[in-house]
Order: sequence, then C-alpha cells, then structure tokens
Amino acid sequence: MSGVITWLGEWFFWPPFFQLVIAPGLVAALVIVIFILWFERKAAARVQMRVGPYNVSPRLGGALQLIADLVRYSFQEFIVPFTVDRAAFITAPLLLLLASMLPMAVIPVSPVLPYSYTWPNIMKYNLLLALALTTLSPIFTVAAGWASNNKFSLIGAARESFMVTAYELIFVLALLSTAAPVHSYDFVKIVEAQSTWKLMALLNPPAFLAAFIATLLSTSGFPFEIPESEHEVVAGPFTEYSGLVYGVEMGAAYIKRYAMSVLMALAFFSGWKPLDPQPGAGVWSGYVAPLVVVLIKATIIMAVISFLRAVYGRYRLDQALHLAWKILLPLALLGYAIGLVYGYLGVL
Amino acid sequence: MPAVPSRRRVPSYGFLSAIKGNLEALTVGLKYFLNPNRSTLHYPREYIKLRPGYRGYIVLNKAKCIMCESCARICPAAAMKMVRFQAPDPKRPGKMKLYKYPVINYQRCIFCGLCVDVCPTEALRHVPAHDVVYMNLAEMELGLEAFQQEPRSPAEEEGGIPVRYIFDPEKGLVKVRVSEGGGEQ
Repeated sequence: MSGVITWLGEWFFWPPFFQLVIAPGLVAALVIVIFILWFERKAAARVQMRVGPYNVSPRLGGALQLIADLVRYSFQEFIVPFTVDRAAFITAPLLLLLASMLPMAVIPVSPVLPYSYTWPNIMKYNLLLALALTTLSPIFTVAAGWASNNKFSLIGAARESFMVTAYELIFVLALLSTAAPVHSYDFVKIVEAQSTWKLMALLNPPAFLAAFIATLLSTSGFPFEIPESEHEVVAGPFTEYSGLVYGVEMGAAYIKRYAMSVLMALAFFSGWKPLDPQPGAGVWSGYVAPLVVVLIKATIIMAVISFLRAVYGRYRLDQALHLAWKILLPLALLGYAIGLVYGYLGVL
Repeated sequence: MPAVPSRRRVPSYGFLSAIKGNLEALTVGLKYFLNPNRSTLHYPREYIKLRPGYRGYIVLNKAKCIMCESCARICPAAAMKMVRFQAPDPKRPGKMKLYKYPVINYQRCIFCGLCVDVCPTEALRHVPAHDVVYMNLAEMELGLEAFQQEPRSPAEEEGGIPVRYIFDPEKGLVKVRVSEGGGEQ
C-alpha cells in the first residue's frame, strides 16, 4: 500500500508535471489569479467609495462573483467571425496562455527536489531560461490582433508591439543585475545569497523599481493599460473574441503578471527564505512549504500591482515609451552597474 | 471681435516633482484603502429616511376637499384630473348632487408640488416616500380610493435600515444611520 502511495507521489511530484500543471503552474495560477481579480475589484472599490462585488456572496465579500463570471464565460458562445484568419484566431489565445505559463516550468521553488529528482545540467542557467520564456508570449497577442482582421484589434496589436520594445530589455536587465553579485544564473544561488531582511530589493532598489514597472508595462497593468484600453480601442487585440476564449486571453495577462511576480519574488524578495530546506528534507517540508512561501510573496507583489489600478489613470503610448526609454532604461543600467559593483566587491 | 486662438501649453513636470506627485497619489489611494468612506446605498437592506418636507407621493384627504378644481387646473403635466359622479345629496334628501374629486396619474406626475401648494384647504399633502413599486402602467393611474391611501416604501415595510447622507467637513459625504426618533447617529 505504501508502495502505491510512494509511486503516486513520485508521479505527482515529478517536477516537469508538478511545476507546470499544479504549482506554481496552472492550478495555483488560476486560484491566485481569481483571488487577485477579486482583490483588484474590491481595492478599487474601497478607494473609489464603492462596495465592489457583494451580492453574489455577502458573507465572503462577493468572492464568488469571479466564479460566477467564469461560469458565464464558459457557457457563452465562442463566435468565430467570417473575416478572421481562422487557424491563428483560434490557436493564438491558447498559445498565449501556454507561453505565459512556461517560465513556471524552469524556475526552482526550493533548493531540493522531492524523491531524489535532480534538475538537468542546463538548469544551472534557470534565470536565463525563465527570462527567455517570458519574452515568448507577446507574439501571440500580436498574432491574435492581426488574425482578428479588425481595426481596433490591429491598433491594439501595434500598441502591444510598441510596448514589447519598451519593457523587454528593461525587465531582462533588471533581473540580470541580481545575477551579477552572486556570479551565477541560478535562482537557488541568488536566493541563498539573500536572507530574510537582506533583500535584493533593498540592496539594489533601482533594479527592483525597473523590474516592477516593466512588469506593469508588459502585463498592461495600470497606468500602462495601453494595448487593450477600453475607452479607445474596445478591447485591443481581443476585440473579436467572446466566450471562454476571451476569458482565457484576459486571464493570460494576469498569469503572465503572476509569472513575473514569481520571478521577482525569487530574485528580489529572497524567495523561500524564512525557511531553509536542507538536502534530504521530506516532500512537504523540503519542497511544498518553500513553494507556498514563494507563492505568498508573489501574491503580495501582485496585490500591490493590482492596487495601482485604483490610483492611476492611463498613460498615452508615447508617454509610456518616453518613460521606458528615457527613465527606466538608465535606471535598469544603473541597477546593473550596482549589481556589477556588488559582484566585484563580493558583498553578497 | 473674433476670438483669438491661443496655444495651450502642455504642463511639463520635472523629474523630482513627478516622483512627488506619484507618491502623493499613492498616499491618497492608500489612505482611502485603509479607511474607506463608502457611500453606496444597499437599497433593499437600507433606505434613505426622507425628511418631512420631502415632495414625495401625494395623498388626498377627501373630507377636506371642497371640489374647487384648483389642483387639476394648475397641474403642469396634466397628471391630476377631476372625476365626476352623481351621488345623493346629504343636505337635500331625495336629490342627487354632482361630486368631483381629484385623481392622479403617476405616469405623468413630475412631483412639482404645485397642487399641494395651491390647495386652499390642505386636502392634498406630500408623503415622505418615493420608492413605490407598480407592477404595470395601468396601476399608476390611481382611482379615488387608491388616492386616499398613504403609499408605503417597500424597503421600510421589509425592515430596512433607515440611513441618511450628511456632509462631514472632514470626510465629505457620509452615510449615517437614523434612529427611531429621526435623529442621526
């Protein structure tokens, strides 16, 4: 009997499956994204003297409203217009969701893997792999807008492609500046170099600020909700979509925000750090507990990002590009220089 | 003299003042996030306790009416009409008399209150209620009997909490609960 449980556990915790599908991948991402959507609406309502979702479940503060919305999206008809490029129109949102999720597969959430699994040798470069995978998803947003064959979608796709030029370099530079002090591209080394209060975000604030604002830029969080700004271009690249696929597209931006938040929690907020799992620890204390700590930190970062929706208006495209190229890029370079100095002096 | 077109200058901010403005905006948002001042009225569970002088629904006191038709004449929306009917005259036994009383059509009424103002005997009065529900349009044309009954607010009948909005010099518009006597808490 125990042999069966061990066999099931080994199968369940096999990292390529567990990390991509259960946590920090699909299942955990859906739960956290639903919580964050609820929090975003409630936070904006509190600031704007409203109540927000309430009547669906008054005792839970309207938390089930998001489930109700999900059910509604699921049962809506998915309309494919005659004028669209059919194959690209249908596959782009699904690939967008998958590409947003992919960085989850390569990041370590604990220094030890369960059941004596080991990462392949290439995973010493997991920071580079995760960064490379975060840059995959915008092409599918552009493809969805292009395939829709609609002027709002085209404008939204063009805006998205402008935004890609703005944030990608900044995010990559900002995260690389955490790799320089520890002389390694391994998240495990980066997290182990920090401690509970000796955070990379406090040691290197320019890099953290640049990464944070780059996350806002890349996931169309306020004040940079430019590609799908509702007042100007209906829903941007997602104008022609309906039903569950529209929900998938809208969720994909949040899942990308979640993935980038996990990366920031690891690189700047010392990952699993209050815990210190040693090699040989069990599955729960050595793998699941650090994972939960990382997810809590990522959720807090996402909540701060969501809170900004209540405060800010929207920048124009040229203002966002101005901010990115003239302020954030020097800031990210400054952060990288600080990281190089730390690495040269051997501070961490 | 033709209007002189002037070029509006786009306000530009320095780097530090932009940072200061962002921090101020975040502070204001955080202040409201931690200490929200919600002004939403949860309607069926709460209702606004109206003050006595409120121009709400209109009720006829038939005993006071002297059939002068002033209300029907002054009504700007022609919502008020007189109904006429023959009935035995109490002063002259065996004779019939022409009675006429006002009735109201709430499809047309604009709640201006002119009929109440013009009534010489105060036979018409306002009731502090404005959220009466009608199931169809025909119900909104009140007959003589319905016009004499005082309409009740459904939220009040179902035990909603009476609230009132008052102006607080520090917090702005604030929702307060009204006690039984009409005082604000």
